[in-house]
Amino acid sequence: MAGALILRRLLQIAVTTAILSLCAFLLIGLMPGDPIDLAIAGDPRLSAADAARMRALHGLDQPLLARYLAWAQSVLGGNFGHSRLFAQPVSALLGPALLSTLELLGLALLLALGAGVGLGALAALRPRWSGPVQALALAAQAVPTFWLGLLLIILFAVTLGWLPAGGAEGGWRFLLLPVVTLAFANLAAYTRHSAAALRSALAEPHIRTARAKGASEARVLWRHAWPNAAIPVVAVAALDAGALVSGALVTETVFARPGMGKLIFDAVMGSDFNLALLALLVVAVVTMLATLAADLVQRWLDPRLA
Amino acid sequence: MKAGLILLGALVLAALAAPLAAAALGHDPFLPDLFNRFAPPSVEHPLGTDELGRDVLLRLLHGARVSLAVGLAAALAATVIGTTAGLLAAWKGGWMDAALMRLADGMLALPALPLLVILAALDPAAIGLPRGEALSDMIRIAGLLALFGWVGVARLVRAGALSVLARDFVRAARAMGVGEARILRRHVLPELATPIAIATALAVGGAVLAESTLSFLGLGIAPPAPSWGNMLANAQELAFQAPLVALWPGLAILLAVLGCNLVADAISRQRR
Amino acid sequence: MKRWLLAFLLLALPTMAQGRDALTIGITQYPSTFHPNIDNMAAKSYVLGFARRPVTAYDAEWRPVCLLCETLPTLENGLAARERTPDGKEGIAVTWVLREELRWGDGTPLTTEDLRFAWEAGREAATGFGPAEFYRSAYEFTAHDARRFTIRFDKVTFEFASLGDFAPLPAHLERERWRADPRGYRMRTLYDTEPTNPGLWNGPYRITAVQPGSGVTLERNERWSGPAPHFRRIQVRTVENTASLEAQLLAGQVDMVAGELGLSVEQASALMRRAGNRFQVEYKSGLIYEHVDLRLDHPALSDRRVRQALLHALDRPQIVARLFEGRQTVAHSTVNPLDWVHEAATRQYAHDPARAVALLEEAGWRPGPGGIRVNASGERLSFELMTTAGNRSREAVQQVLQAQWRAVGVEVRIRNEPPRVLFGESLSRRRFGGAAMYAWISAPEGVPRTSLHSEEIPSAERNWSGQNYTGFRNAEMDALLEALPQELDRERRREMWRRLQAIYAEELPALPLWFRQDAHLWPRWLEGVRPTGHLNPSTLWAEEWRAR
Repeated sequence: MAGALILRRLLQIAVTTAILSLCAFLLIGLMPGDPIDLAIAGDPRLSAADAARMRALHGLDQPLLARYLAWAQSVLGGNFGHSRLFAQPVSALLGPALLSTLELLGLALLLALGAGVGLGALAALRPRWSGPVQALALAAQAVPTFWLGLLLIILFAVTLGWLPAGGAEGGWRFLLLPVVTLAFANLAAYTRHSAAALRSALAEPHIRTARAKGASEARVLWRHAWPNAAIPVVAVAALDAGALVSGALVTETVFARPGMGKLIFDAVMGSDFNLALLALLVVAVVTMLATLAADLVQRWLDPRLA
Repeated sequence: MKAGLILLGALVLAALAAPLAAAALGHDPFLPDLFNRFAPPSVEHPLGTDELGRDVLLRLLHGARVSLAVGLAAALAATVIGTTAGLLAAWKGGWMDAALMRLADGMLALPALPLLVILAALDPAAIGLPRGEALSDMIRIAGLLALFGWVGVARLVRAGALSVLARDFVRAARAMGVGEARILRRHVLPELATPIAIATALAVGGAVLAESTLSFLGLGIAPPAPSWGNMLANAQELAFQAPLVALWPGLAILLAVLGCNLVADAISRQRR
Repeated sequence: MKRWLLAFLLLALPTMAQGRDALTIGITQYPSTFHPNIDNMAAKSYVLGFARRPVTAYDAEWRPVCLLCETLPTLENGLAARERTPDGKEGIAVTWVLREELRWGDGTPLTTEDLRFAWEAGREAATGFGPAEFYRSAYEFTAHDARRFTIRFDKVTFEFASLGDFAPLPAHLERERWRADPRGYRMRTLYDTEPTNPGLWNGPYRITAVQPGSGVTLERNERWSGPAPHFRRIQVRTVENTASLEAQLLAGQVDMVAGELGLSVEQASALMRRAGNRFQVEYKSGLIYEHVDLRLDHPALSDRRVRQALLHALDRPQIVARLFEGRQTVAHSTVNPLDWVHEAATRQYAHDPARAVALLEEAGWRPGPGGIRVNASGERLSFELMTTAGNRSREAVQQVLQAQWRAVGVEVRIRNEPPRVLFGESLSRRRFGGAAMYAWISAPEGVPRTSLHSEEIPSAERNWSGQNYTGFRNAEMDALLEALPQELDRERRREMWRRLQAIYAEELPALPLWFRQDAHLWPRWLEGVRPTGHLNPSTLWAEEWRAR
C-alpha cells in the first residue's frame, strides 16, 4: 500500500520536474542578450567576429528546442554541464550548496517546530498567555523575512558588532542570525496549529481519565495529548516545505550565505541560466521529496490515513 | 475584524492622500534635493529624507500606492482564476477535475520564490510589455504573483463547491430543470462567498509580501517608482549611513500584511 | 569587568600577531574562471595579480613596464624593427627577453615554449579566448632560445612594446589538454579543474584553496625568483553585498577592501569618518568613464546646440560633491586628466542654466505647456534616459539629471533595463530612445576607435558590430582614430590627442560625466600598496606590500 503510494508520488515528481524544466528552459531562451553580449559590454576589445565565434562555441546559435533536447539528454546522462559564472562543473557546485542549505533549513525547521510547539502548548495550557502568543504568531506571519534579517544585521552586526553580518566561514556564529531569521518567518503556522490541536486534544475524554488518575500536567500534555496533536502539525510542515525553501532563498541572499537559494539568485543575476535551471530543479525535487516524507510521517502517526 | 479593517483602511486612505500630504508638506517626493540628504526627522520632513534628499514619509505613501495596488491586483486576479478553476473542477469533475488538481498539486509542491526569481528576470518584451516602465513592472509582477496565487483559492473553492453541489437544495433545483449556469451563479457562488473572501484577504497579504521580496531582490518594481520593497533594497546599502531608513518601509509592509491576516481571521471566526 | 578585559586581550593577542603575516582582503565579485586568457573580469585580474604575471603591464604611473622581461623593446634599443610583412603590409618585429630564473610553482623553468603555447592556443579560433585582435595581428612567433622570443605583427601601433594580457601558459601541464580537444579546453583546463596545482602559477603567490563563490586562498610561491613577498598567506574573500563587506571590515573579518572591487566612494568616506583611526584610504581616479550616450539621429539631439545646452544644464561638480563626497573626477572628454595625453585647454562646460536656456532658444525650442519646451512644429523636447537597472548609484544620478534638465525645460523619461538587455540589445542594436548612461573601461592612452569611428556604428548589415552607439560621424575624427595608433612619435601623438579631445568637447556625441574613483581601504599597518586606476590591478606588485 505504502509502496504503491511512494511509487506513484515519485512518478508524479518526475513528471512535474520534466514539465518544469521544459517550461523554464523555453522561457529563458526567449530572453534577449546572452552572456556573450555581456562580455562585449565589459571588454571593449571584443569584436563582433569574436562574439560570433564564441557564440558558436557555446552552441548559442542553435534553435531553442534543439538546445533543450541536447541539454535534457546530457542532464539525463548525468552530465550537468558547466557553470559559466563559476567556471566549474555544475555538479561540483550543487553538492556543497545543497548541504549548506539543508543545514540552514534543518536547524531553522527544528527551531521553528520547537518554539512553535512550545508556544502552542503555552497558549493551550495557560489561557492568560493565549493572547500574547497569538499576537506573536500574527506578527511572525506578517513580517517580511528580508526585513527581519536586515534589522538583525543592523542590530547585531553593525551596531553591537557581536555577530558576523554574513558569510559562512563555519561555526555557529555564522549560522545564528540566518537560522533565527528563517525560523521566525515560519513560526506562525506551527504555533497556531499546535495550539489549536493541543486544545482539542486536551478536551478529549481520555485526557480527563489521565488527569483523574493523577498524572502530572506535563505528562498529560506530552504523553497523552501531544501524539494526537502532532498529526496536523506534521501536515502543516508538509504543506509549508515550499515556503520554507523560499524563505531560505531570501535568508541566504540577505546574509550572503552560500547555498541553493543564493546560487539561484547569483545565477539569475549573472545570466548563468544552465546553473539557475539545474539548481531550481534540484530545489524543486528536494522540496517535493520533503513533502512526500512529511506525508509518510503523517500516515505513520495517524493510522486512519494509512 | 475591526482592527484589521481599520489598519487596512488607514493604509489605503494614506496612500490615496499622498498628493494631499505632499501639498501640505510643500515638497515633491520625486525631486532630488542634493543639499538635504539624510536629514533627520523634522517638522518639514516627519520621517527625515533619503539618499537623494527626498521626503521619506511621502515616498512611503507613494510606495503604498504601488505596493498595495500590486497586492490587490495580484490577489483579485488570483481569486478570479482560482474561483473559476475551483468551480470548474467541482462542477465538471472527471478529467477536468483531475487535470486541474494535479496542476494545483504540482504548483503547490514547488518552492515559489526560486521560480519567481527566474520568472521575474525574464524579459517583459517577450510577452509584449514595454520594458522598464513602472506600470508594466506592476502588471508583470501582479501577473506572476497571480500565477502562483490562484492555487490556494482554487482548492478552497473546489472543496466548498463540492459540498454545496452535494446538498439537497442543489439536487432539487437540478431536478426542477434549473440551468447549470444559474445553479452555479445563484446557489453555489453565494455559499462560497466566505471562503473566497478569506482566501482573497490572505492572498492580498501574501502578494504584498511577495512583491516586496522581489523588489528587494531587484527583480520587482524598478526605481525611480517607489515601492516598499525597493526602498528597503536601497536601505540595505545604506545600513551604516542611515539605519533608520530601513525601518519605515518594513514596518509598512508588516502593518499591511497584518491587516489582511486579521481580516481573514475575523471572517473565518464569524463563520464559526 | 577586569576578567572580561583580560579574556578579551588574551583572545585578541594571537589574532593580532597572526594578522601581520596573513592578510585577508574583501572584494565584491567572484572570478568566473582562473584561466589567464579566457574572459576578462576585474575579480580575476585582481586574484591572478598575486599568482601569475604577464610579460608587460602598465604601472601606477600608467607607463608600460616589464614584469617578466628585462627591457621594454623600442626602435632605439633595436629590439623592435619596422619591416614589411610577407603580403606587403607595414609590419613590425618585436623581441622580448625573459628575466633569468623564471620558474613555475612546481619548479619547471618558464621558457619561451610557454609563450609559444599561449600564442598557438590563442591563434586557434576554437579555443575561445576572449579578445582575439592580438592573435590575429601576431602572425609569427619565433623562439631564439629559452629566454628570447620575437613576435611579428602585421600592423604597427605605438603600443607594440606592450603584450597586454598575453601571458605565458604552462606548456608542460596544459599543452596536451589543449591539443587533445581545443574546443573543450576551456572546460578542461587545469586552471579551473585543479587551480591549486602549483605548476600553473609563476607569481609571488600561488592558489592553495578555492571556495567557489566565496573565496580564494593564496600562499607564498617558494619558486618565485623575485623579491620575497612579506605576507605568508593571502585570503581573498568575496562579499557581494557592500554593506556586509563594510560590516566584515569593521568586525575585523577582512583586513582591507580592494579598491578595484570594493566599497563605493561615499561608503568609504562615511566609514573613514567613523573608524578613521583604524584605516587609511586612498582615492584613485581611474579609466572608468561614466557618460551619457546621445542618439545623434534623434530629432532633437541631432542639434549640437541642444547637446551643449544639456551639458551646461548639469551641475556635475555639485552632483559629485553631494552624492560622491567629491570623490569623482569631473570629465570633459574621454581622456582622464591623469593620462599623459590629456589636454587641459579642452573646452569645459560649466553649470550655466542661463547659457543652456539661450542655446535651446537659439535652436528653436521655446517654453511650452507644463514647462516643457516645444519647437516650431509643436514637438516637445523630450527623450528617454536609460541606464543599467539595479545599479543604485547610477539610478540615483539619473534622477538628479532628470531634475536638472527639467529645470531648463527638457523632459526626460527614465526607463531602465538590466545590463544584459541594455548592452545585449538596446545599445548594441541602437534601440535606445535618446540617451543612455553607462561607463567605458579603457587602458591608458586607449584609442576610442570602437566608440567614435563612423565605421563602428552598429547596423544590421554589419551584423551589429561596433560600439559607436551614438551614431557619431566626423571625417576628421575618423582620420585621427586611424592615424593615432600608427603614430610612434609621442609629440605628434600628443597633438593628435589634443585635436581629438577638442572635437569631442565641441561635438559632444556623448555627455561626459566623470571618471570613477576607486576607494582603496587598508589597515593603518599596511604599506606599499599602489593603486593603479586601470585594468592592471595593484596586486601585480603585491611583493612590495609590507606590514608595519
